[in-house]
Amino acid sequence: MIVNKNDFHSFLKKVNSGLGNFSEVIVPYHIRSDDEKPALHFFRFEESKLPNLNFFRTVDPLKILFYLTREKVYPLGQKNHTRIIVGVKACDIKALHLLDKAMLQSGFVDPAYKQWRENTLIISSDCDFLHETCSCNLVNGHPYSESGYDLNLSVIDGNYLIGIGSERSQEFIELMKREITVANSTISDLEIVKSNREKVFDQLVEKNNPLNHSSDFSEFRKVEHKNWEEVSKECIGCGACTNICPTCYCLILNDESSEKDFVKVRSYDSCQWYGYARVAGGGTPRPKMTERFRNRYLCKFDYMHKNFGEIGCTGCGRCTEACAAKIDFREVVKNVSAIAQEVN
Amino acid sequence: MQNPYEVIPAEIYEVMQESPLIRTLRFKPKKPIQFKTGQFIEVGIPGIGEGPFTPSSSHYTVDDMDVTIMKTGFLTEYVHKLHAGATIGIRGPFGSNYPLEKFKGKDVLILGGGCGLAPLRSLFLTMLHDHKDYNSITFLAGAKTPKDCIYKDEVTEWRKYDNVRFIRAVDEVPVGEQWEEDVCLVTKLLRKIDMKPDGNPAIVCGPPVMMKFGTFDLLKYGYKEENLYLSMEKKMYCGFGQCRHCVIGGYYACKDGPVFTYNQIKNEEAIWD
Ligand SMILES: Cc1cc2nc3c(=O)[nH]c(=O)nc-3n(C[C@H](O)[C@H](O)[C@H](O)COP(=O)(O)OP(=O)(O)OC[C@H]3O[C@@H](n4cnc5c(N)ncnc54)[C@H](O)[C@@H]3O)c2cc1C
Ligand code: SF4
Ligand code: SF4
Ligand code: FES
Repeated sequence: MIVNKNDFHSFLKKVNSGLGNFSEVIVPYHIRSDDEKPALHFFRFEESKLPNLNFFRTVDPLKILFYLTREKVYPLGQKNHTRIIVGVKACDIKALHLLDKAMLQSGFVDPAYKQWRENTLIISSDCDFLHETCSCNLVNGHPYSESGYDLNLSVIDGNYLIGIGSERSQEFIELMKREITVANSTISDLEIVKSNREKVFDQLVEKNNPLNHSSDFSEFRKVEHKNWEEVSKECIGCGACTNICPTCYCLILNDESSEKDFVKVRSYDSCQWYGYARVAGGGTPRPKMTERFRNRYLCKFDYMHKNFGEIGCTGCGRCTEACAAKIDFREVVKNVSAIAQEVN
Repeated sequence: MQNPYEVIPAEIYEVMQESPLIRTLRFKPKKPIQFKTGQFIEVGIPGIGEGPFTPSSSHYTVDDMDVTIMKTGFLTEYVHKLHAGATIGIRGPFGSNYPLEKFKGKDVLILGGGCGLAPLRSLFLTMLHDHKDYNSITFLAGAKTPKDCIYKDEVTEWRKYDNVRFIRAVDEVPVGEQWEEDVCLVTKLLRKIDMKPDGNPAIVCGPPVMMKFGTFDLLKYGYKEENLYLSMEKKMYCGFGQCRHCVIGGYYACKDGPVFTYNQIKNEEAIWD
């Protein structure tokens, strides 16, 4: 399907203000006016502002819309409204796929997460620009999604080519067809999309060339403590990296019960913090910062692989962007990976 | 859809002071909690918090349960202030259990100390219920001093069975305290009994140091790695594999454990910390 960009935006505007059964449309907006260093955040659609649907990832990970920073999990409230999130990037789609495995397919179901998943239509979009930390290509990713979305947008000049990824997007499509002109896409449209995608991917590959590393992470465990000490020496243990990572989901369960009602609230925790694994009596398996630093890398590349059959890094680059000590995640992975290959 | 965060209210009807630091709470959950011995539950006090504890009662009584809790910090301080009539909140059961079917017909050895006796009492009571199914049951229990011994009132009952031995030891007997049984580290009791390590299971639970040296001794005496059952205590929040706090290597102590064979986890790091 092909739609005109402006038509599509005005359609989203109508949907956001009550057309159809959707209660809100969430889109990325620039949060700074200078275009030198663009940064995007998800906000509810605003009448007067044009969203930036095809840029690169938002500053905040998509997880904050599905796995809230603080959320009541018992008793469970009913979330009976349907959201649409537009402009989701491939890296965040991948992260959601991993969270699905962790939260829906591991023998138990996190009911609050499940509700958000069921109530949200996801419209992804190809990346047309790159953030300096973007590195999906280093972990087997691409700057566009091939699955995991309900609909996907690719820009062709003043139009969007809309790809369909799920049956549940049907309602949205029907509504759209009633409101704006929807043309059929042609072979040449698809070819333009393909070549745009290749172009961005090539830019990404070139940009990240100095950071290339092996995609075999199985030997990370064998890397010695002294090497981890070296790569982690600047780390101050703030936990910014885990909080902003789209695939980190470690939680604290808080009890907010009263005498009469039991109430459980979950919020984010960080394995980078000293208290994380501390048990009664004061013992902890990772008393040193180096050990906690190492834990994060092993969790992403080894433990999650063991738990879910895929690594826990999508290459979104947020941890590098957020690091207070300016540690570049990609460089650490590259260095550790090189040492791991040697040890082998 | 079952919410794993669901809290089942339970009323405490009796509190027993087992030792200066250990109490057993007996409670009736509003809904039976169908646990298998070895599994754990989350015990919560409204507005204070919750923590993982193993029921210390037999899994044949799912509507009338015990937990034996040592005072060690923030939450357990509050637990020790609870009286009969108080309401607590239970989540669970969670985790793996002792594979009783593998113990049937065997000579079962149970080794524990301190508050590690809580899950072992559950196992022991559950096995006593069908004691004829086992060739023999030997329970070696340790405590620091005589007044630290728990489950004192039950010992006579436990010693009534032909194929069951319950042997106790204390590390030391301070002046003024009475003790007629063994005085040694509980692991030293192993030498006093005729062990049958060949193909038989041994179950260990206790403070980390005891678990570590107990395990090494049993291996030395010929128990097989895959027949050594350990209950691992790690930091736990959710209890069912979501919060990741308890992950050792790629294993979840809460979901794949708490009961592990030594064989499963021996190569993971920091298992005794
Ligand atoms: C599977 C399993 C079974 C267990 N079975 C038993 C048993 O049968 N009997 C028994 O006595 N013990 C058992 N334990 C140990 C028991 O869970 C701990 O002793 C208990 O949780 C200690 O809690 P505490 O708050 O009193 O101790 P603390 O030392 O104060 O805290 C222990 C942990 O709770 C956290 N914590 C403490 N206060 C707060 C707070 N205000 N807010 C947030 N977090 C806090 C700490 O960070 C720490 O990680 C078991 C543990 C596990 C993992
Ligand atoms: S580890 Fe860093 S780059 Fe990888 S997914 Fe998490 S935040 Fe993104
Ligand atoms: S990491 Fe890849 S998918 Fe994510 S925003 Fe950057 S280019 Fe797009
Ligand atoms: S206790 Fe939460 S994952 Fe094990």
